[in-house]
Amino acid sequence: MGAEPKLNIPLHVKYIQSLGENKDDLTYHLTAHLRMNAVYWGLTALYIMKNKDALDREEMIEYVMSCWDEQAGGFGAHPDHDAHIHATLSAIQILVMQDALDRVDVDRVTKFILSLQQPSGVFAGDAFGEIDTRFLYIAVQALSLLGRLHELDVEKTVGYIQRCRNFDGGFGAIIGAESHAAQVFVCTAALAILDRLDVIDQETLAWWLSERQLPNGGLNGRPEKLEDVCYSFWVLSALSILKKLNWIDADKLIKFILSAEDLEHGGIADRPGDQPDVFHTQFGVAGLSLLGYPGLEDIDPVYCLPAKITEAKGLRKDWEALPRRV
Amino acid sequence: MHGVKRIRYSREALEAKQQRDKAKLQEYLALTEEIISRKKNGDYSHEAFDLTTRMLRVNPEFYTVWNYRKTILVKEFFLKSTPHQINDVLSGDLDMTTAFLKQHPKIYAIWNHRRWCLEQVPEGPTEADPNGWKMANWKKELYVVEKMLDVDARNFHAWNYRRYVLASMPVHRSEQSELDYTTRKIEANFSNFSAWHQRSKVLTTLWETGKANPAQNREEELELVRNAMYTDPFDQSVWIYHRWLIGEGSDATILQAEISSIQELLDEQPDSKWCMESLVHYKQLLLRNHSAIIGAEDRQVVKTSCLDLLLQLQHVDSERKNRYGDLAVRIRDMDI
Repeated sequence: MGAEPKLNIPLHVKYIQSLGENKDDLTYHLTAHLRMNAVYWGLTALYIMKNKDALDREEMIEYVMSCWDEQAGGFGAHPDHDAHIHATLSAIQILVMQDALDRVDVDRVTKFILSLQQPSGVFAGDAFGEIDTRFLYIAVQALSLLGRLHELDVEKTVGYIQRCRNFDGGFGAIIGAESHAAQVFVCTAALAILDRLDVIDQETLAWWLSERQLPNGGLNGRPEKLEDVCYSFWVLSALSILKKLNWIDADKLIKFILSAEDLEHGGIADRPGDQPDVFHTQFGVAGLSLLGYPGLEDIDPVYCLPAKITEAKGLRKDWEALPRRV
Repeated sequence: MHGVKRIRYSREALEAKQQRDKAKLQEYLALTEEIISRKKNGDYSHEAFDLTTRMLRVNPEFYTVWNYRKTILVKEFFLKSTPHQINDVLSGDLDMTTAFLKQHPKIYAIWNHRRWCLEQVPEGPTEADPNGWKMANWKKELYVVEKMLDVDARNFHAWNYRRYVLASMPVHRSEQSELDYTTRKIEANFSNFSAWHQRSKVLTTLWETGKANPAQNREEELELVRNAMYTDPFDQSVWIYHRWLIGEGSDATILQAEISSIQELLDEQPDSKWCMESLVHYKQLLLRNHSAIIGAEDRQVVKTSCLDLLLQLQHVDSERKNRYGDLAVRIRDMDI
């Protein structure tokens, strides 16, 4: 790619490694409610950048297990935090990537997840009842990774997604909600896992998704909104499941993602010049991987896990990323 | 982190900041520890409740603390209080979260706590007026959410909450007044797709319940959309909504009228991508659904004009050139 900007892998690896060393920093503690997710984002980004072992495996597994909420039967975001379906999925994903799923009480965690399904088919995040198609996807993915998908009421689950579909082909967080690229990702990926892509108006949705790209190459999440690096994954994952990844301009998007790198401290931000974080680092790297950026591992857009992992578990669905460049 | 500018600190500035943060950090960690330990011990006291207030003021995303607060209310306070006291404490939480939302309009946990509070409001104030408190609270909600949408008309948390409030109010507001609300939002800013989306939902309800006439509405909507298109032909919100109005294009008269109206706009704005893209879409519908009413020769003309437009689109809107290429292949292969 000549003089083009390049993904600075060593710097981003160092950045992710440094995140656990900020314990004197107030922000580190203010974000404890996202810690389990952050570990998952960091590990996935490292894996995709072929640096899976940059964080200590044993320490990570012990941390995950220390977040187990014995009362609820799920994982919290941090030790002594309440169990939540989102932290639970991140914990399972981390353990899958570390080949340590045998540490989990699969029966109990399955029960916890299934207990959160509502009569409408959607899932709540925890016992306090917030509902969202994100939680529905999380339940579907978690059950799939645990090998317990057969315990799910598929019709009821798919029915809820179906009722979230809007005229623009997209999906929202709940019935009636406006289409949003992140919700499109969760609904499309859940349907892919359940082999029910027939629910999607694929032509209309792929059109709507392709219209997320702005003249500066970045993607937005809704019409007439600003671009943001994280949509690189939400939009691209759905497009790869629909096999329409070439409906956007890959070169322009690669340039945009790379322009949001922090070349001083490492990490990728939402937009050029902003403060980087591990969330945007992960979704920027995942986007680059789907676009065929050289030197990266393939990411599975359905599970947002390394494709090697889902293939080894026999879970790979029919999706298409762009060919890996050299 | 969204939209937070990268700051470069000098070594001195960074040290000064860390020193300042140190005191805050110690206070924060001590408060966290105190709350977690009380929670583990099943402490549902008033002091514990006040500690959650203190914590949530600093960190409204700490979901475990919101959960603890709710648990204190359910397991202790509600059991030992009069309905009046319960209503007061819930109103207090609603006021508190209103203040929080002004600072953090996009934090899920705050919106959720409001929902939870509203659903806990007891019957009262009297047996003769069991819905009095509920009505008073729900009425306030619509006001709060409108204030939030005045500040950010695209905040999807606020729109979702608005739909929730409208569906849950003890006395339902008419769909017509919601339609008027979306008109005001759209007229204030044509590019507010959230309002167009809401409009599509409200109109659907009005039609499904027989409260409005689809044919008449469609005409009015097309007029509104035409104004928006002429105001800013490059704004995609209105074109997406237009696509909903046309749908499968089963009405050939409307379809043809819209095609010529968009063609007129394109003549004025020859580089308008949305004019070209929409023309291709609607002409395709025409070919697919109404080939019988256009002669064989005209069908070829329509087909050729689609292919011409797609060729132009590949240049004007190059990000999506592969999509236009795929569409061209499909139209070329159309059996007409």
